[in-house]
Amino acid sequence: MPWQTQDFAAASGPTPQRESPLALSVRNILRKPSSRVALFVLGVIVLVGLLAPLIAPYNPAAQPDIVGLKDLPPSLAHPFGTDPYSRDVLSRVIYGARLSLMIGILATIVSLTLGVAYGAIAGYAGGILDAVMMRVLDAFLSIPRLLLLIGVLVAWPKLSIGALVVFLGLTGWFGLSRIVRGQVLALKHAEFVTAAQALGASRRRILWRHLLPNIVSPIVVAATLGVAHVIVLEAGLSYLGIGVPKPLASWGNIIQDGSDQFPTMWWMSLFPGLFMVLTVMTLNILAESLSDAYERRR
Amino acid sequence: MNGTEPLVSVRNLKKEFPIRKGILSRQVGAVKAVNDVSFDVARGETLGVVGESGCGKTTTGRSILRLIEPTSGEIRFEGRDVRAMGTSELRALRREMQIIFQDPVSSLNPRMAVGAIIREGLTIHKLAEGAAADARVRQLLQEVGLRPEYSNRYPHEFSGGQRQRIGIARALSVEPKFIVCDEPVSALDVSVQAQVINLLEDLQRDHDLTYMFIAHDLSVVEHIADRVAVMYLGKIVELATVEDLYSTPLMPYTQALLSAVPVADPHARKERIILQGDVPSPANPPSGCVFHPRCHHPAKDAACAAIVPPLEEKTPGHFAACIKQPPTTVSWEQQKEAGGVHPPERYLPLAAVHA
Amino acid sequence: MTAPLLSIRNLRTWFYTEAGVARAVDGVSFDIGAGETLGLVGESGSGKSVTALSILRLIQPPGRIESGSVIEFEGKDIVTLGDDEIRDIRGNRISMIFQEPMSALNPVFTVGDQVAEVARVHGGMSRRDAWDRAVEMLALTGIPDADSRAKQYPHQLSGGMRQRVLIAMALMMKPALVIADEPTTALDVTIQAQILDLLVDLQKKIGTSILMITHDLGVIAETASRVIVMYAGEVVEQAEVDELFAKPQHPYTEGLMHSMPHIGHDQERLNVIPGTVPAPTEWPAGCRFRDRCPYSWDRCASEHPPLYQIGTGHVSRCHLAVEPERRNHPHPPVVVEAGVAAA
Repeated sequence: MPWQTQDFAAASGPTPQRESPLALSVRNILRKPSSRVALFVLGVIVLVGLLAPLIAPYNPAAQPDIVGLKDLPPSLAHPFGTDPYSRDVLSRVIYGARLSLMIGILATIVSLTLGVAYGAIAGYAGGILDAVMMRVLDAFLSIPRLLLLIGVLVAWPKLSIGALVVFLGLTGWFGLSRIVRGQVLALKHAEFVTAAQALGASRRRILWRHLLPNIVSPIVVAATLGVAHVIVLEAGLSYLGIGVPKPLASWGNIIQDGSDQFPTMWWMSLFPGLFMVLTVMTLNILAESLSDAYERRR
Repeated sequence: MNGTEPLVSVRNLKKEFPIRKGILSRQVGAVKAVNDVSFDVARGETLGVVGESGCGKTTTGRSILRLIEPTSGEIRFEGRDVRAMGTSELRALRREMQIIFQDPVSSLNPRMAVGAIIREGLTIHKLAEGAAADARVRQLLQEVGLRPEYSNRYPHEFSGGQRQRIGIARALSVEPKFIVCDEPVSALDVSVQAQVINLLEDLQRDHDLTYMFIAHDLSVVEHIADRVAVMYLGKIVELATVEDLYSTPLMPYTQALLSAVPVADPHARKERIILQGDVPSPANPPSGCVFHPRCHHPAKDAACAAIVPPLEEKTPGHFAACIKQPPTTVSWEQQKEAGGVHPPERYLPLAAVHA
Repeated sequence: MTAPLLSIRNLRTWFYTEAGVARAVDGVSFDIGAGETLGLVGESGSGKSVTALSILRLIQPPGRIESGSVIEFEGKDIVTLGDDEIRDIRGNRISMIFQEPMSALNPVFTVGDQVAEVARVHGGMSRRDAWDRAVEMLALTGIPDADSRAKQYPHQLSGGMRQRVLIAMALMMKPALVIADEPTTALDVTIQAQILDLLVDLQKKIGTSILMITHDLGVIAETASRVIVMYAGEVVEQAEVDELFAKPQHPYTEGLMHSMPHIGHDQERLNVIPGTVPAPTEWPAGCRFRDRCPYSWDRCASEHPPLYQIGTGHVSRCHLAVEPERRNHPHPPVVVEAGVAAA
């Protein structure tokens, strides 16, 4: 009988690739040319925002000659023209990138924290607590976000940027918590969770080590879309004059500054608008390929 | 401690899953997944549990570990009442009882490296940390036949058989006394299945493990188990040593189950008992003997539909739940009263085949 | 011998993946005669299911049937047929029974509708006639009370019942060939016995050929008349069923038979085939089984074995056929760890 009962080398098999799930997703995302371009463009915009003080040719708030230098169309000295206060629009757009992105990211961090916590608790607890929490969420979701924000901001004019970020964040987690709850609900009966339970893992450990790491992908997708959404919201609110307090430069503020003479002073809306559209588009493209990569892995 | 005391002892275990309907989630019924099951597992033995999907074998296994909370009944581990344990006692107990799962894909956290998966139990129970934990992980990997260098790889990099080995290493990490093996080889290819079964047997010998081996494959159970419990619709219908069960199955269901296994020998085409119809719903099990609607015992009659057959000892150590296989404590008078017309008679349609 | 019903020559179905070209089916040839049941055994990764899908040309990109492959069926080459022509064959002349009966049925239509649909598409029958025929077929597959069962949806039926519905669908047009891909793997053993019985019975009634694909040698022994064993994308052995079980020639077939626990034959330890199937992107040169084989010698590394003729209708892809004395000198298998194979 040549057949062995020993399998001393059972460990052999197809060459395992040394790659963590994270590295795999990143590679999946970068495979598409569109997402490579998007990542590059977004990288440039972020860099521009980060390095604003070094790049901007002028002080964004400086009003060098409110009569002689106002309302200038694009020229070599002012590639994006100047605004009614003689400020350099290019410099303001550059600083606007900084502010708009920062608001987008910070507000999203706020909603991410709330949404993940709320959703994870509801999903993991289940039962009556889950039911109650979800009905509360339904109530929140039934009020349009923009309306809620306008109401708050009109009632409290002159809010600081910090407060604006908090409000944007406070109104942005409802959808996300839904997603998180659904994912936690779907995963909490997975066998690896049961295995952790059988090992004696605490609820907190199961949540942090087993559930959340496995729902990072949909959360990141939602967060990416969330940043884009906040940027648009902020611009809209600023355009209505209840967003970022002037004279700070955000993309919405710049457009607002030129809105009185929109057809003639086209540069005032074109350039900040272009940046905003680019940012939102690239974020959306990235979110899409993230979610593709996620689907593929499943 | 008394040497003859069973390691695990289960009495009258019941688990019902409520069926809820409507917006108020009113309970309209219950699936009786496990319906009054009692058995012991002796130290060092392997108790096989076989049955078809929905028979309650997995629920029984998980109830012992309290991964599922039983509805009623008693579970004792080394004499301690498992159902009465609080959170911290239960956590300590989890060091002594472990589980190995069927699905090599979903039973490993895809976001954790293999080393971290195996290490988790060490961390939770503070068994080792730092370099000592690393060494222990490497030792465990080696013990289940994997290379220690694999510890920083992720589950998706391994084949099904290798993943199953990782799951086994995780269970072993806390040095348990008792392991519930929940269909550990069902998802594997035949040649890999043999590797894993041999591994489980080696580990049992080296670590004095006690197994509850749940499976639907009767040939695997015959190979690995010492005693076998056959489950049908939430009940144990037969319980015997491997030799007795496979040579003289007394319960008509076991007979049908055994005869249904395809034999890898074209000359041995055997008489086959083909059961009619499907397994009834556990939400609405038949009255009396749960198997009676599909039963082929020639003495089957109205008494079978009326009397719940006790799991009784037919020959020493061989238990079956059938009032038509003598001897039975349900007397012929009682059976007649319940509408019985055929007195009990020994029926062994498979005896000839296995003689 | 009359012309076979289906004749496959040098079938190669390759998948162009990121990790490289996966040669899932790599030069497979065999025939199926009219009315015969051919068993196709292999473990996961052997290429048995891809072979089945290739016969119906159901291979999706990145997979492709390579040119030079021939699948001749009723005088036509399936590989080069137009899309309309192949659709006319699927479900009509060749039909398929899948492993997972739930996912193969559409949850939003009644089972009767789904069975009747086949006759409407291929037979051009009226709605009424097709329905009557569907009920007839369902009754034939042993579904009790077929009249009312036909009006139910898939989720209202048990696994065994659903598999009967799939069989009814597959046999609706009295096809020349039914491909059954692990038809009972998802079923419980008592239900499996019912379904296998039914298949054998219906085959006798309708006279169709069956290609029975499975990993279970028991299922093969009980249904097939001839068996093909696949390993690593190739046919490694082919024989009449009695011959194969009595005298397996290829070490893989032998190993497979020895590693199964058998009821009534108690062994202390199970025999194992060490290691695992190599990745389809990197089949080893020479014999693809040699790393796991207890007999392999230098010739197995240098020379890819052809299918040697062993006896009438019995072939084996192993050099032992010409150097049988090597069988007397097994050695521990040379399983080489991944990555250090070259060392």
